[in-house]
Amino acid sequence: MPEREATIGPEEGLHARPAAQFVKEAKRFASEVVVIKGGREANAKSPLKVMALGAKQGDRVTIRAEGEDAEEAVDSLTDLISAKQ
Amino acid sequence: MKDYVRLTGVAASEGIAIGPAFAYVPGDLKPERENISEDVVGEELESFRNAVKAVVRKLSETADGLRESGGEGEAGIFDAHVEMAEDPELHSGVEERVRDLQSPEAAVISVGEEFAEMFAATEDEYLSARAEDVRDVAYQIAAEIMGGEDAGIEMLDKPSVVLARNLAPSDTVNIPKGMALGFVIAEGSRTSHVSIMARSMGLPAVVGVGRALEEALAAEVVALDGAEGYAVVDPDPATISSFEEKQKNIAAEAALLKEYKHGQVRTREGRRIEVVANIGSAQEAEGALERGAEGVGLFRTEFLFMERPELPTEEEQYEAYRKVVKSFGEKPVIIRTLDVGGDKDLPGVDQPEEENPFLGWRGIRMSLDTPELFKPQLRAILRAATHGNLKIMFPMVVDADELRAAKKVLEECRRELENEGSRFNEVEIGVMVETPAAAICAADIAPEVSFFSIGTNDLIQYTLAADRGNERLRRLQSADHPAVLSLIGRTCEAAREAGIWVGVCGEAAGEPAMVPKLIELGVTELSMSAPAIPRVKKIISGL
Repeated sequence: MPEREATIGPEEGLHARPAAQFVKEAKRFASEVVVIKGGREANAKSPLKVMALGAKQGDRVTIRAEGEDAEEAVDSLTDLISAKQ
Repeated sequence: MKDYVRLTGVAASEGIAIGPAFAYVPGDLKPERENISEDVVGEELESFRNAVKAVVRKLSETADGLRESGGEGEAGIFDAHVEMAEDPELHSGVEERVRDLQSPEAAVISVGEEFAEMFAATEDEYLSARAEDVRDVAYQIAAEIMGGEDAGIEMLDKPSVVLARNLAPSDTVNIPKGMALGFVIAEGSRTSHVSIMARSMGLPAVVGVGRALEEALAAEVVALDGAEGYAVVDPDPATISSFEEKQKNIAAEAALLKEYKHGQVRTREGRRIEVVANIGSAQEAEGALERGAEGVGLFRTEFLFMERPELPTEEEQYEAYRKVVKSFGEKPVIIRTLDVGGDKDLPGVDQPEEENPFLGWRGIRMSLDTPELFKPQLRAILRAATHGNLKIMFPMVVDADELRAAKKVLEECRRELENEGSRFNEVEIGVMVETPAAAICAADIAPEVSFFSIGTNDLIQYTLAADRGNERLRRLQSADHPAVLSLIGRTCEAAREAGIWVGVCGEAAGEPAMVPKLIELGVTELSMSAPAIPRVKKIISGL
């Protein structure tokens, strides 16, 4: 199962607008995608779960996906999450 | 005199309101049924999904409506609610409970509550505030399933002060236009939606008044001051007239602000005087800009160091400085390096017990002795300078040697950053003239700096040997004393010789009677707390 680590880039952390953009991007993929922080897993397509992780700028998270477009999903989401803006 | 109740809370949105009280007490939404029978599971799942669709449609309509009337920020709140209502995890949680024979309305309320608690537990102010959003959305879906009526805030038919335990965004938009004069709310913080909405509607609000609100629910009239953060229930005539007076003053200030907010001011002779702000934290930058600050004349950095278990890192300081510098764009921001003495605790620094902290180990004295404190701050400032027009000034300097020692450390930091390949920018250097010694030695110091900034509060206290905090010495706490004026004059004279400028960043800079005298002596920059800015600009234009 492809997975990659990333460091949260946006100043607000994975909240508000960055969380919304992240979830929107995750929904483009057919694969099941999870974000893992400190052993807690969240469905990447659920804004509620993603925000409840409370990931802040500089936190390390892992993105893992399972499905036909898993590789692409992991790459695209780690890039998005680590971008500053 | 009549007794009245005073409610104290968070100053969430500025302004004064006086008016009839409207207590908004929605009935607690209780699920009609806890459980359902097995044969209706399919039907109930269907009714949950339909309710979600209906709520999403309503929320989207509200967002569109707000967007059309220019309320982009508020529209965003409702967009986020749409996403919450459509959340796959919310749906799967509810559907699972319904399959276990819980009623859909009970299921959505309890799943919403679980998420709300997760948010509340994050210890993050922004996320904790989102707990109320999830609850709001879950309750709307539950209400839709039960087909209930709304609780009646849309019935408000005369302009009133709204009192409530809390107001969800769906409540706030349901208030008929012009019918809310202000809000007094039991729960919440400055980042709650009701606070955000109140600020964007330009209505005063006090939030977080707590249980005391219960005593106010039967009130006839409420007066509130959103800048001070309190409300008075059934005020007596004297209180009402004092609120009306405040309202008038605010209107007059607003008119002044409108006239002088933008643009620079000159005296009639054409002398250009910069009017800038003193700020004590990154959050104050916005308010200063709104009041027409042409920059920051004194950015105190103590807030970064106080009430915490360890010293702030260079990175943390860099972020804080960068934020402020960026928000001011091209305008100058003068950062004063740490000025703490024995009167305040500093984490990780071994401070001696002192009998006279104001005459003790503080300001530049402490910084020079403690490179582990001083250098990260200087490095952070040099790096933040890449984002705007940053200057630095040193506090409590008494002679040119101290300045040279500080400049040497700054040079070291510059070299380190260069070797590390870090991005940084040059900064202009200034000295705070707040000891009589600095004023007396001004001619020695001036050739080595780009500016002076006179800290009148300390200069008065040190010159007149009068404790700033001693009430009995009020008479000796003014800059309008021949000794103080003479030191200011001397400083300006030395600056003129060396071709540098002089600012004032003490309270005298914002005192109407002192402004003409300071300008007369040669001061060209006045730095004050933001609310004084429009008034001072007006005074200068009339000189």
